Amino acid sequence: MFDTTMIMAILPEILMLILGLLVLVFDLIWKKRDGRDLGWLTAGGLLFILIVTAAIARPAESTLVFGGMIRYDMMSYVFKLLFIFGSMMTSFFMMDIEQLGKRGEAYILLLVATIGMSLMASSADLIMLYLAIETTSIPMYVLAGFMRDDEKSTEAGFKYLLFGAMSSTIMLYGFSLIFGFTGTTALTAITDFTLPLAVGIIFLMMVGIAFKISLAPLHFWAPDVYEGAPTPITGYLSTASKAAGFAVLLRLFLGLFPETSPYAPTWTMIMAVLATITMTLGNAVALSQTNIKRMLAYSSIAHAGYALVGVVSLSELGVGSVTFYLIAYVMTNLAAFGVIAAFSRVAGSDEISDYAGMSRRNPTLALVALVAFLSLTGMPPFGGFVAKVFVFAAAVKADMIWLAVIGVLNSIIGVYYYLTVLKVIYLHRMEGENEEAHPIPITRPYAIALTVLSFAILAIGIVFGPWFNIASSVAEGLF
Amino acid sequence: MNAVPVNYYIILSAILFTIGALGVLIRRNALVIFMSIELMLNAANLALVAFSSANAQLDGQIFVFFIMTVAAAEVAVGLALIVAVFRTKKSIDVDQINVLKG
Amino acid sequence: MTVFIILALVAIITALGMLISRNAVYSALFLVLNFATVAVFYLLLGAPFIAITQVTVYAGAIMVLFLFVIMLLGTDELEDTDNLTWQRPLAIGLAVVLVVEGIYLMLSQNTLGFITTPSEDLGSPQAIGDMLFSKYLLPFEATSILLLVAMVGAIVLTVKNKKGEQS
Repeated sequence: MFDTTMIMAILPEILMLILGLLVLVFDLIWKKRDGRDLGWLTAGGLLFILIVTAAIARPAESTLVFGGMIRYDMMSYVFKLLFIFGSMMTSFFMMDIEQLGKRGEAYILLLVATIGMSLMASSADLIMLYLAIETTSIPMYVLAGFMRDDEKSTEAGFKYLLFGAMSSTIMLYGFSLIFGFTGTTALTAITDFTLPLAVGIIFLMMVGIAFKISLAPLHFWAPDVYEGAPTPITGYLSTASKAAGFAVLLRLFLGLFPETSPYAPTWTMIMAVLATITMTLGNAVALSQTNIKRMLAYSSIAHAGYALVGVVSLSELGVGSVTFYLIAYVMTNLAAFGVIAAFSRVAGSDEISDYAGMSRRNPTLALVALVAFLSLTGMPPFGGFVAKVFVFAAAVKADMIWLAVIGVLNSIIGVYYYLTVLKVIYLHRMEGENEEAHPIPITRPYAIALTVLSFAILAIGIVFGPWFNIASSVAEGLF
Repeated sequence: MNAVPVNYYIILSAILFTIGALGVLIRRNALVIFMSIELMLNAANLALVAFSSANAQLDGQIFVFFIMTVAAAEVAVGLALIVAVFRTKKSIDVDQINVLKG
Repeated sequence: MTVFIILALVAIITALGMLISRNAVYSALFLVLNFATVAVFYLLLGAPFIAITQVTVYAGAIMVLFLFVIMLLGTDELEDTDNLTWQRPLAIGLAVVLVVEGIYLMLSQNTLGFITTPSEDLGSPQAIGDMLFSKYLLPFEATSILLLVAMVGAIVLTVKNKKGEQS
């Protein structure tokens, strides 16, 4: 009954679970240790899992395993690697954060959330999908509220839980209707694309997904949660968690309402409108933010809008470009949040105005900030530029030129607020202070992670061919 | 037992779901909001079991079984978060929980 | 049919009771009644195993936990304030969608068929067990991870640090 394909299909999940249990046991029995042991264990373990998975778990063809529960294909492979990478970077960022980095529980929560995301990206069944979403969400609620003596953190966790539970319940109601009208929960077994009440089902599922990837008008939780949660967790939430949401979006909508379905124009139209609102609103509100975490929250809302443009074009190129966009976005945003975490750990502030003189306080960190923010802006030669080009190209090819135009206009608005931050970092000075007297030391975990991320952003931006081939192979499996 | 159309069950579940959603939207007590979410989950469960019987497919009941497990986990974490919020703020009125400006 | 209508009325009234009660304890008790009614529906629908799970998990565990927290925090009475801004349009929108769905289901009478006496072994514990440990093995394992992590999470958020975490 068991064969190697089945083991390979869930190899990363098994390894991550083992790692999580190791962390938990290690936390209990090993008393004499310096603070970072658990962090290094997690990060090292994840690096090992990343290499092993990349080397031996690459699927040859798309197969269904575990009674049709999950799919073992390129899409799950690529997204799993992305999640494991993101989780590794997050554990680097977590290590030196007070009250977070020394707690074994934080790492096991992170690992289980990653397991959940991996299952989300590979689910082929509604039951598995629902469980995977909850396996991701529940640890994330706890992580967002982890600093339980901090008013903001507990509030963030609480809000995230309330809105998260509500939206997944609404999505669940949609699932129950799908089961009712088709008599099956397997996404692959649903071949009748003319469901009764299809518009209602689309609406219910859209609510759940729009919440997960923070599309307007269901984005309102994101800035609050992003601001209150510990910074490394915010970085993880805004990248890996969002990428997992997109994976579900692709699986669900391309599985239930593919091109051939009469409802395909309906949902793509709704999403095109949502993408427009999301991009515009995210960028417009980001302009007036003074807290950098809130600003990046609105910026990440806008980025969800850009990525959605690729989904709307409903083509192989479109899906490939979304995947590419997500890869570039995960690297870039993680770097941005890494910089913020490293800065606020020393400076104790997330206000943009306090970043004045940072280029003198730590030139290297300022350089990473430059790379990250320029990539978010969409400047060549960084990853963000190529990603935007692909997404907008997909929209143009699908005869949605208006959407591409809106996207480009929004990118221009984006330039303004990203460059404002860089201006504060590079041109403003601390008032009446000598910046050299207030250095911002960065510890080794930050140094490693930020170096890796900076090079990754450059690598994606300059040598984009291989990356795009990987992204396209994901798309081929879905059409 | 006389026959009951499945539609009736689904309509009942839709009504319960709406009441739950209204509870989430109009109540201010965090605990009652959380209870309303449980009511919504329950409505989805009822629909699933009804569909399961109508289609003579067991999958719906299995789904409900898993949903109950998830609900238990969610409640445990949710109530822990509510307790944590209450410790820092001494209130569970969602209008008081607004240090972070939305 | 009569049984259904009576039970449905009980379910709706208890749900409304939960919604309207000012006192959180009453809300919780109304919800327990509602869950019990739904458990009876499960029996009528031929799902005895789910019905028992409903009673033990929802009424037995979840609602007890709710009551415990209400008592612990001592926040059973809470005046509702009236500043609802964005919630109202959303509530109306949601209600409209569900009403439309209801009407649709009314009009499309019996496309889904009737539920008569359900077969004995459809929802039997044995049938459910068979499926859980064959087709649904992977989700079952996933729930075990989920429960573990929920436990860890609840402990992290509530238990006091013994060592004082001087770091």
